[in-house]
Amino acid sequence: MASELQDPSGVYDYTEGSSSYPGEQQPLRSRRVSSQDSNQNYPQFNWNPEEDEEGDSGLPRELRSIPLPMSLKRAVRQVQQMKVPVVSRAESWKRKKTRSLRKLKDNSKEVLDAFTLWKKTLQKIGGNFGSGVHSYFLFLRFLVVLNFVSFFLIAGFVLAPSIVFRYVDSSLDNSNGPAECLEYNPNPKVTVFYQYFLDLLSGTGFMEYSYLFYGYYYNKVVANEDVTYNIPLAYVLTAVFYFAFCLICIIARMGANARVAVATGGHTIGEYSMIVFTGWDYSCLRDRDTKLKQKNIHYRLQVDLEEERLKKRAAALTLSRKVLLYSLRTFLHLVAFGLIMGAFYGIFLAADFSQKNTTEKGILGLFYEYLPSIVITAGNFLVPMLCDQIALIEKYSPSTTVIVALLRAVFLRLVSLAVLLFTLWRQITCDGNIEEAGCKLCQYNYNVYPCWETRIGQEMYKLTLFDLLINIAVLVLVEFPRRMVVDKCSCKLTQWVGRQEFVVPSNVLGLVYGQAVVWTGTLFCPLLPLINTIKFIILFYCKKITLFYNCRPAHRTFRSTTSTFFFLVVLLFGWGLATVVMVYSLSEIRPSLSCGPFRLFPNMWSVVPSSFYSLSETTQEFLFFIGSQSFSIPLFALSCVVMCYFIALASVYGKSVALLRTQLKLEGRDKQFLVKQIEQLGRQLHIPTHSAGCLLPVWLNYFLSASCVTSPETVSFDRSGFSRR
Amino acid sequence: MGNKQTIFTDEQLDAYQDCTFFTRKEILRLHGRYHELAPHLVPMDYTKEPDCNVPLALIVNMPELKENPFRNRIVESFSEDGMGNLSFNEFVDMFSVLSEMAPRELKAIYAFKIYDFNVDNYLCKEDLEKTLNRLTKEELTPEEVELVCEKAIEEADLDGDSKLSFADFENMISRAPDFLSTFHIRI
Repeated sequence: MASELQDPSGVYDYTEGSSSYPGEQQPLRSRRVSSQDSNQNYPQFNWNPEEDEEGDSGLPRELRSIPLPMSLKRAVRQVQQMKVPVVSRAESWKRKKTRSLRKLKDNSKEVLDAFTLWKKTLQKIGGNFGSGVHSYFLFLRFLVVLNFVSFFLIAGFVLAPSIVFRYVDSSLDNSNGPAECLEYNPNPKVTVFYQYFLDLLSGTGFMEYSYLFYGYYYNKVVANEDVTYNIPLAYVLTAVFYFAFCLICIIARMGANARVAVATGGHTIGEYSMIVFTGWDYSCLRDRDTKLKQKNIHYRLQVDLEEERLKKRAAALTLSRKVLLYSLRTFLHLVAFGLIMGAFYGIFLAADFSQKNTTEKGILGLFYEYLPSIVITAGNFLVPMLCDQIALIEKYSPSTTVIVALLRAVFLRLVSLAVLLFTLWRQITCDGNIEEAGCKLCQYNYNVYPCWETRIGQEMYKLTLFDLLINIAVLVLVEFPRRMVVDKCSCKLTQWVGRQEFVVPSNVLGLVYGQAVVWTGTLFCPLLPLINTIKFIILFYCKKITLFYNCRPAHRTFRSTTSTFFFLVVLLFGWGLATVVMVYSLSEIRPSLSCGPFRLFPNMWSVVPSSFYSLSETTQEFLFFIGSQSFSIPLFALSCVVMCYFIALASVYGKSVALLRTQLKLEGRDKQFLVKQIEQLGRQLHIPTHSAGCLLPVWLNYFLSASCVTSPETVSFDRSGFSRR
Repeated sequence: MGNKQTIFTDEQLDAYQDCTFFTRKEILRLHGRYHELAPHLVPMDYTKEPDCNVPLALIVNMPELKENPFRNRIVESFSEDGMGNLSFNEFVDMFSVLSEMAPRELKAIYAFKIYDFNVDNYLCKEDLEKTLNRLTKEELTPEEVELVCEKAIEEADLDGDSKLSFADFENMISRAPDFLSTFHIRI
């Protein structure tokens, strides 16, 4: 550290760097130069706070962020406290207030920290497995909290009033319709004990006519002396607000991540330097994981070098080889697409078959019930594996391969869910043809589906449950035995297969799929968010156990910041699918005549307009006004203006960043030129270099800081004359 | 909680709380960890500000630092005598900078110091080569090391002197989205 006294550019560096610290934009003359002090390495700190515009409350915030050693910081703090500035009583009272407020904030933050869910567990996971796996568990925790909070929304507006009013008044308004449509008997006699278990797993029997499914809810407006509560209206509006609430939560979370991603710009620039300087995860603790981490970094660098080589080779390809390569890739894309379509067709057949054989009893009946879920899970397992093999032939660069595989997997999962729903739709609406014999009477297929909403709710319930059971089964039957085999038996085959790897992308897709299923099913099965919360909590502990006992860190890393953003984007796709289903169910299909809160209405949404007319005159007029053109067009114009403003602001910032970067380059060259000048001068005047270095900070600092600009608006290049001398 | 402990005066705890990113509880816990490193050297009673330093060899054996390839450089950057012996002030300072609440600029300053092996305030090619070798445990061939270092300097160097000054380093770090999460030690 003492050598920095001799090195002029070294001292320059620190004082130069100090002008970029936040909050220290003080004029040069107020800086004290401490000469012949071993602390000359550190940026000059303003010991006199009089010129400091900020109040006392601002200072401790800065104090923590100043790169001085601790003893100096404490000394500074003491000096600040000893100096009693002459202030008015109001001022000092205000300062005391802000200080005590800050202390209160710090204390409450300590208390809130104790309530953060699973904080210690997540710390341990991040410490041992790195930030990629950590981001998966953070995402899982976000989904648990989202489901739990949205369940309160549903419970408060739909479930609790239903329970209360059913207790109070248990008569129902029956609709007038054909007698066949009104038949609905969901409570067959329970004959054997294991029937309870089968019913639990498939949502039939005693579970069907319960608060779990749509069919049980009231269809009347409950009116007491002072309280009226329109349960159908509450049901519809709660469903809509549930979707809106989930969307807002996801976007809020995306916003925080997007800010980081946008601020750091495109990550294709500076990949090597970033791997070298930010590649090592300092929070990694375990010994064998650090060896793997080193292999990991080695792998990443090799991957980048390989990509460079591939790019060079691709650029050097002759035309005929290029054509061959592209036609091969197109063919393989078609093959992958064909595989995915095959999986969809399989799901379609399975769903059809399952719906046609609902009357089977016993274990076979259970198997038929679960057939769609089984086929979907098998497809989600097999098809990505096959696509991985195809990707080996495609010869994309490694990063492109990962992205292509992920996109294919997302497409497969979400569209297979859509195919299942499409199959159900076909059967409910007799292939969309309302006039057909089976559907004409009640405008839905009342023979097979006396209460079709409950049926859909049951399908989603089964999907959710099956997903959880499969996860637990894989954990118990595949992962634990695999670890035991790999540990005990040391033959070549087991070592080559190796321990389980915790692959983040496929696990995240599983979570997104589960959440999309829940969103689709909530309209028909209001308790599904609660079930999903419990399912995700169980999943958290299962994944944690498997992570710590069975897994080794992944060979290929997953960048944590950009990946969280990607998870949320994929979650939005699932949300979009569920919204389409909800909107269609609310507006197009006739609700069941025999069950549920909408049996009197032609479609679910029509309860809103009909209760609209019972509002007061002024409210009606106000709402009409908001929906009319004289309000929406100005609103649209205003939002266009606001958006243009933000786009202009963003482009101005981008331009100033580019300008400042250019200025940085110029200043670097100035610095080099001046250092050479000093050395020359020193030689000419025969001044020994070390004492020349001591004089350096004062006048060099003055020169360069005097011409240094600190705000983008006053960027000027008139120093160019000086540097050319 | 504060009136039962006799390790620090309230005044000292306030000072630590203002100068670092830790709360009182965490500072007391840190003192416990510091004491564990060398129970015979470190007194339990810090009210009189004893002047004791724990040597480098004991600090780099902490579980949080043991597996870090840059552990020696980390401890040296925070020690005032440059040899790696840390007093409690410096110990707390080190973990405060490496905690998750420290801002990016502060971490960048100390990261620069850590990677600057020859302490000349520049990250020259030799510094980068040493960093890379420690990262990959010397599994890359010398040509690959050479190539990567050249590319890294090429990417980050703005003023064209084929070494990275602090401004270059900070500019490059500002574009790295993972820096805050990787340059972070939990204690």
